[in-house]
Amino acid sequence: MTKPNTGELDPQDNAASEVRSYAIGFIVSLLLTVGAFAAVLADLPSTWAIICICIAALLQIITHLRNFLHLSFSGGQSREDLLLVLFSVSLLAIMAGGTWYIMSDLGGRMHDGGEAGHAAHAMPDR
Amino acid sequence: MSGQTSPIFGNLNWNVTPYTDLLRDVNSSTIVGAGAASVLVLGAIAGVAFLTYMRWWGPLYRNWLTSPDAKKIGVMYIVLALVMLARGIIEGFVIRAHQATALGTLTAQESGLVAPDHFAQLFSTHGTIMIFFVAMPLLIGLINFVLPQQLGARDMAFPVLNQVSLGLTAAGAALVMVSLLIGKFGTGGWTMYPPYTGKIFSPGEGVDYWLWAILISGMGSTLTGMNFAVTIFKERAPGMHMMRMPLFCWTSLCVAIMLIYAMPALTVSSLMLVLDRYADFHFFTNASGGNMMNYANIFWMFGHPEVYILILPAFGVFSEISSTFSGKRLYGYTSLVIASMSIAVISFTVWLHHFFTMGQSAGVNIAFGIATMIIGIPTGVKIYDWMATMWRGRVRITAPIVYLTGFFLLFVIGGLSGIILANPSIDYQVHNSTFLVAHFHNVIIPGVLYGMLAGIHYWFPKAFGFRLCETWGRRTALLFVGGFIFTFMPLYVLGLMGMPRRSPTFQNPDYMPWMYIAAVGAVLMLCALASLFWTFWTSYRNRLSLAVPGGDPWNGSTLEWSSPAPVPEWSFPRIPQVTARDDWGEAKRAGDPWKAPERYCDIEMPANTAHGLLIAAAATGLGFAMVWHIWWLAILSFLAIPGLIALRGLRVIEPKIITAAEVEEADQRFRQQVASLAPATRADEETERNRGVPDISEFAG
Ligand code: HEM
Ligand SMILES: [Cu+2]
Repeated sequence: MTKPNTGELDPQDNAASEVRSYAIGFIVSLLLTVGAFAAVLADLPSTWAIICICIAALLQIITHLRNFLHLSFSGGQSREDLLLVLFSVSLLAIMAGGTWYIMSDLGGRMHDGGEAGHAAHAMPDR
Repeated sequence: MSGQTSPIFGNLNWNVTPYTDLLRDVNSSTIVGAGAASVLVLGAIAGVAFLTYMRWWGPLYRNWLTSPDAKKIGVMYIVLALVMLARGIIEGFVIRAHQATALGTLTAQESGLVAPDHFAQLFSTHGTIMIFFVAMPLLIGLINFVLPQQLGARDMAFPVLNQVSLGLTAAGAALVMVSLLIGKFGTGGWTMYPPYTGKIFSPGEGVDYWLWAILISGMGSTLTGMNFAVTIFKERAPGMHMMRMPLFCWTSLCVAIMLIYAMPALTVSSLMLVLDRYADFHFFTNASGGNMMNYANIFWMFGHPEVYILILPAFGVFSEISSTFSGKRLYGYTSLVIASMSIAVISFTVWLHHFFTMGQSAGVNIAFGIATMIIGIPTGVKIYDWMATMWRGRVRITAPIVYLTGFFLLFVIGGLSGIILANPSIDYQVHNSTFLVAHFHNVIIPGVLYGMLAGIHYWFPKAFGFRLCETWGRRTALLFVGGFIFTFMPLYVLGLMGMPRRSPTFQNPDYMPWMYIAAVGAVLMLCALASLFWTFWTSYRNRLSLAVPGGDPWNGSTLEWSSPAPVPEWSFPRIPQVTARDDWGEAKRAGDPWKAPERYCDIEMPANTAHGLLIAAAATGLGFAMVWHIWWLAILSFLAIPGLIALRGLRVIEPKIITAAEVEEADQRFRQQVASLAPATRADEETERNRGVPDISEFAG
């Protein structure tokens, strides 16, 4: 092994740009988090609030991948990174889509999907 | 759970041990409980006393617990797994002993060795331990030991992270162990489905033990997955393209990918249940818009890939040993690679087959049923490949080959019963019966357990410098095969007769003959366990006659057999230049494989650190404190973890340098020793003449 595995930065080369990238990522993540909370606290209709939160969450993921995990579609590793993203997205799509498929089917087969009829079962009989 | 939560001791008090139960009421159930707790306490005391008497604390700390060397971490994982295996098998035996005496009558419906609640704890801990603290550490340990050596790498990509992963796994195991003595374990099975495991139905600490053990060790497994993946992508020796990697590395890659994508689902479902239990959320209650069926959904999104996480490393091991012990090249390398990868991906599309009966419509069930049957195809391909590998080879019937034969015969039966269960209309008949129990043991024991034990037998000399006794190895393997057949084949019959799984009692006397056969099988399993430990012990005593300093006792063809046994911490004096698939075999074909490198240089190894140990301690504290609601300790241990990470980040850490002279000295000594040892033919493999230097003229594969 020629390179140390302590992960030190090359001080001349890219330390400054690395730090900038981390700082930007941090600020953006912070803003997105605050935004999500704001969406809940504000008097938005709940569908809109949910949409806001979902968008903020997706942007948050992208920020983390870009700024903290150094994923990029240009540069030496772009091909690997692209494959990685595609693979992850397809697996996540299977999981999320499958959940949607299963749970909506189950929901449709329950009486009315409401909670009134089930409240009585919430307590144990014993 | 009586009384108030104390600010200092949380819910802990003197009434939580099994001894208080025993004092309150003496019966077979409380005796078993107190006995188990005593074994734990006495075992711990004996261990401490032994280490003190041998003055091994220092060496243990310096050479093992603080070592970031993947090979040592691998060995520690396996030791942990074997300890847990002992508990798991004993529990399996107690379950079988209970059911063999559990025939109730109409007047006295309950009967048997242990009380129903105790019985429920037994199958819950048994399942949890076997999956998370036996199978997982076994395979992660084996990969840790083998993968870097096969890739021609010095170590894992992140050695200290590796230590942390081990620490987190051990912390989870410790929580499960502590639950024997302090409090109770959950009674919801290894899956812990709500609403039964919600706060309303299971108010005590039991489910929390499971949750924190799973959360902590699951985090460790996710990190391990990342470590493996980065190692495979970034740390291969020059010239080792993907398609030159030994098959075990390929299956490790599949495992890594699956760990990364599957473990988070478990973490999520457990965290949601934690929020339900601790913070009055309603993810999985019927009230307030929750939906308990989503737990099954998320859990099995992890759970199904998990079963392939368990089996794929075993497939890797079987690929290596079928080729080595028949002296032939692996048949159908490319098809095996494609099959492994397909299994890894398809396994993410079948999870619903674990809850066919939950109430979704037939169309959904059919979709997942078909996906499930498809996954049988690549598995079948592999079986044929291994058989073709052995076809017309000069197969040596060593212990790993006995395991492999058992696997061939039994795993196929288990796989076929899986295909039967994949048919939703059949599943409606036999789900939740012991037919299912027979099915999954039938794939897990011949698959995972045999595979891992075969792997341990195969690579043991590399780790410790001496072979394991073949005679006892074969006896152990045969006992595991026989024990399996007697214990679990009757369960197929019982399942078809209608016996539900997890039954503490039953009233049908027709079950009894099968119950007795299964109980005999469980005794055989205990014998197999004893025989396994005896194998280690007797081999240790005969280590001089079993020593293989030449390092290549089986005439192997992958890189790890080029180094001495026991392998030095740097594995290779120089990172090898790989020119072919099965590079070491290629070197043998070309003549003198034991050539010294032209030049030696300094080797940089990660320095020892207590980081993993400290994080493990903090994680154990966190888990225990959360289980018992000791909030101050929970906060303290929780903050300790980022604190420790930050502290390490702030320090400049110097790697350990092994000088070129030292490497040269050791390596030259090894080369001279190889030259002085007489090569052993394959016929001599099991005799004392096998000093780890094979007769390369015999190498054909
Ligand atoms: C070696 C001897 C073993 C014996 C005698 C044994 C016996 C049993 C028994 C009697 C049950 C309960 C069946 C029921 O609920 O009716 C059970 C459940 C289970 N076993 Fe084993 N077993 C053994 C090995 C293993 C291994 C090696 C694994 C996995 C690596 C395993 C995983 C499980 C799981 C996951 C359950 C389900 C627990 C639950 O119901 O939640 N067992 N076993
Ligand atoms: Cu499955």
